[in-house]
Amino acid sequence: MTDTLKSICDQCTHLKNPQLDFVPSDFARHRQILARDLRELLSAAAAESEKSVVVLGGSILEAILYTFIRGQSEYIAERRGTFEFNPDHSLQNYVSIFNKWLNHLMPGVLLPDAVVNYRDLMHINREINSQPGICTSASREMLRILNTLLGGLSELVAPTSPDV
Amino acid sequence: MEDLVEAYIGGRPGYHLSLAVWFGKSSNGADEHLLLLYSNALLDHFVTDRLSLLWKTGSQGPPFVEVSSVSADRFAQLLATGQVDNKFFDRPDVLYFDKALLNESILKKFNIVTEPAGLVKGWYVDADQAKLRTMRDILSSRGDSRPELGLVKTWESPDFESCRGLIHIEINQRWLPLSLVGLRQFTFFNDLQAGKPGFFLFRGGSIYEPLKFEEKTEPRYSSLVLQRSSDDRYPEVYLRSVHPSEKPAA
Repeated sequence: MTDTLKSICDQCTHLKNPQLDFVPSDFARHRQILARDLRELLSAAAAESEKSVVVLGGSILEAILYTFIRGQSEYIAERRGTFEFNPDHSLQNYVSIFNKWLNHLMPGVLLPDAVVNYRDLMHINREINSQPGICTSASREMLRILNTLLGGLSELVAPTSPDV
Repeated sequence: MEDLVEAYIGGRPGYHLSLAVWFGKSSNGADEHLLLLYSNALLDHFVTDRLSLLWKTGSQGPPFVEVSSVSADRFAQLLATGQVDNKFFDRPDVLYFDKALLNESILKKFNIVTEPAGLVKGWYVDADQAKLRTMRDILSSRGDSRPELGLVKTWESPDFESCRGLIHIEINQRWLPLSLVGLRQFTFFNDLQAGKPGFFLFRGGSIYEPLKFEEKTEPRYSSLVLQRSSDDRYPEVYLRSVHPSEKPAA
C-alpha cells in the first residue's frame, strides 16, 4: 500500500519543524500565514484528507515562492539585468522564476510543472479532466515537494554573487 | 527586451501571448525587432508598433523596437503556405513561449525543442489502484489526461520483455531527466524503495513495472536528454514489461 499521508509527514522533518528564516524580517504577516497554513497542512495530512492537502499544499507553495522571490528580487535583478517583483503573478510564473533564476541555489529542489496542475485541482473541472486517483498521488508528491523546498530554503546561505 | 515581453504577457486583455521572438538583432544601434504571436484568432493580420526600448523610464527616444503581432493560427497558416517573411527567422532568439498554444510547425520553425527524441509519456499507477482494476481498464481511463512523467529508453531486450531508461518530468515546459535527489520527491520512487512498486502506463499502451533504480556515470546519455547532468550521473530505471490483461497480485 502507498504510504499514508501521516507516515509521509512523519518523515518530512522540514514540514514538521519548518524553519522560516528565508522570510525577510519585515514580512511578519507572511511568516504568520505560512506558519498557520503549515500547521493546518499537518492536520489535514494526519486526517488523511487528500484533497485538502493538495489544495492547501498548493497555497503554501505559492506563499513560499511569493515570499522567497520577493525577498530575492535584488539578487534576481543582479543576475538577470533587471527584475521587478509582480505580486499579481500566477503560481505558474513563480514556479518559472524559481526554476530559472533561483533553482541553482538549491540543486536538490525540483518544482515540476505538475505542481501547478495539482494546485488547480481546487477547480472541479480540472479534477474531472485528470486521471482518477489524482489527489492520492498529488497529495503525496505535494508533501514531499514542500518538504524538500523547505529543506533547501533552511540550508540556503544568503546569495550574494550573481555568478553562482 | 525581456522586460518588454514580460509586460506583454497578460498585458493585453483578451489576448494570451503564445510566443515572443527577438529576431534580426541589431549590432549598430538600429531598430530591434520583436515578433509576438497571440492565441486570439481575431488578430488575423500583422499589426506593427514601434516603441522605445527605454519605455520603462518614460523615454520616447532611441533605441527603438518594432513589434509585429499576429495570431498564432494565422502565422501557422502563412507558414504552411510559405507566405511568412524570412526576416522573422533571422537569428531568432525565443524569449517566451507557451507550447500549449503553439502548433508543431511553429515550434519546429523556431527550433523550440521541449522533449528529447524517443520520449514516451505516461502515468504512474500505485499498487492499490492496480489491484482494483485491470491495466487495460486503467489505461483507458487515463484518456487524454495530462501525462505525469516520461521515459527515454536507454536499452531494450530483443523480446521487449524488459528495458531500462531515464525518467523525465516537465519543468518550465521542457521534459528533463530526474536526478537521484529529484526522484525522492515522487511517489513511484518512494513506493519502490518501500518494496511496494506500482506500474508505469504509457500512451500507446505500454505498461512497465519498475524493478529498481541504479545511478550510473554514463556520458553518452547526455545525447539522449535535453539537459545534461553536470557530473554525467543518471539514475536509470530497470523495467519489466506487463501485459495489459495482467492483474497484479494483491
